[in-house]
Amino acid sequence: MSQRRIAVTGVGVICAMGLNAAEMWESLRTGRSAIDRLTDPEFDHLRFHNGAAVHKYIPEEHFTPTSVDHMDRFAQFAVVAAREAVRDAGIEWTDALRQRSSIITGTGTGGQSTEDKGFADVYLRGRDRVHPLTIPRSMSNAGASHISMEFGITGPAFTVSTACSSSNHAIAMALQLLRSGAADMAITGGSEAPLSFGILKAWEAMRVVAPDTCRPFCKDRRGLILGEGAGMLVLEPLDIARARGAKIYAELAGAGMSADAKHITQPTVEGPVRAMRDALTDAGLKPEQVGYINAHGTGTPGNDPAETKAIREAFGAAAEKLAVSSTKSMHGHALGAAGAIEAVATLLGMREGILPPTANFTEPDPECDLDYIPNVAREAHIEAAISNSFAFGGLNAVLAFRALA
Amino acid sequence: MQDELTDKIIATLASVKHIPREQIKPESSLADLGFDSLDTISLLFELENNFQISIPDESARSIRYVHEIIDGVRQLQAAGPAAPTAGQAPANT
Repeated sequence: MSQRRIAVTGVGVICAMGLNAAEMWESLRTGRSAIDRLTDPEFDHLRFHNGAAVHKYIPEEHFTPTSVDHMDRFAQFAVVAAREAVRDAGIEWTDALRQRSSIITGTGTGGQSTEDKGFADVYLRGRDRVHPLTIPRSMSNAGASHISMEFGITGPAFTVSTACSSSNHAIAMALQLLRSGAADMAITGGSEAPLSFGILKAWEAMRVVAPDTCRPFCKDRRGLILGEGAGMLVLEPLDIARARGAKIYAELAGAGMSADAKHITQPTVEGPVRAMRDALTDAGLKPEQVGYINAHGTGTPGNDPAETKAIREAFGAAAEKLAVSSTKSMHGHALGAAGAIEAVATLLGMREGILPPTANFTEPDPECDLDYIPNVAREAHIEAAISNSFAFGGLNAVLAFRALA
Repeated sequence: MQDELTDKIIATLASVKHIPREQIKPESSLADLGFDSLDTISLLFELENNFQISIPDESARSIRYVHEIIDGVRQLQAAGPAAPTAGQAPANT
């Protein structure tokens, strides 16, 4: 018997490019980068000064004052994106559906921003206690828990954390859960809010953050730009989605996962190659059927040539006809939320027939020799797309989407 | 004869990489000593702490040899203590 096919029926997003999918799409379509100066005066004491922050977000416009007290920014983002995805999917809740629904979220740093402030109180300000809500605000599963309470979902709910691949691993797990029949609907994606002084200092010490902007695959790229936000998808078995007349963005046709097993921060070529190949095999796709890759494309010296090489190896001759872009050039690197935000970008692009560009593109690195859709979005109706996430720790996860007629 | 600064820098390298000091010469390359990217950022962190300097990312990226580190630290020390905004520290050559 063939396995259950899984459809994406709703998307939600909040990131520097916009507070919802419509706003984000407008920026993607026009190739407008949302990277700018970080405004917190505390951040003046950093080697880098630019980021991709969600400037227009006002928590009280989305949550009651008590909820704001209870939720770190990363958990708020998770709920904001989940609300949009559920609304977009036109879900009509019943008790039976609530029991048969699942939530799988990804996050890398979770509520470390809350911890950062609490620890500064005891270590720096000489206070004798931290805020009693520090633990419930900072736990990595807070996003999943608040989504479950928001909708009364009582099915399987949990969080995965694999640094920059967290979202893609979460979405891949949701795919397996729905295929297995353990749930009939899933809200899945990821959220991140790492723009806190202590966390930024830790990134500064890694010397991978660009002082200017994010220029993936370019000769003059100087590193990544940190971002924040959330992306959430509503996944349902295709037969159920069709039976209820849901609009369908695409089929989540497959996922591929691998571990480099080599180095805690230096990527390999082989690990990503296996993840991409496995995603295609799982989806039943041939390389030449794929028209677009939303690349991991961090803009660091290490990632971009290795990813280019990996794409060439996984796609062979088909790499010549591939369009590849890194939307991190516009929404920054939102770490554990990156895969979900990029999945939304990919799905919107497939639906609209327009592939988002790599912004801030200057001159290509000679070691990066693919078609990166420089600066200007491109009209293209594609059959399938993949979205790459490769994490520190060498943990890779790739999603494959197929357009449905 | 090696001066005191050179000795201190070699001691820092040895401590970061957990190797004997005798193995490290000014003409040694970081690659030959087995430094990977993580060892290198750890080394830069220790040098900044031990010598009260701020090493800009751009010059950090071009370091290949121990003698370049010694020259760089000497120049940064001569330029005065680390500015409060790390990124604005004088550039190493």
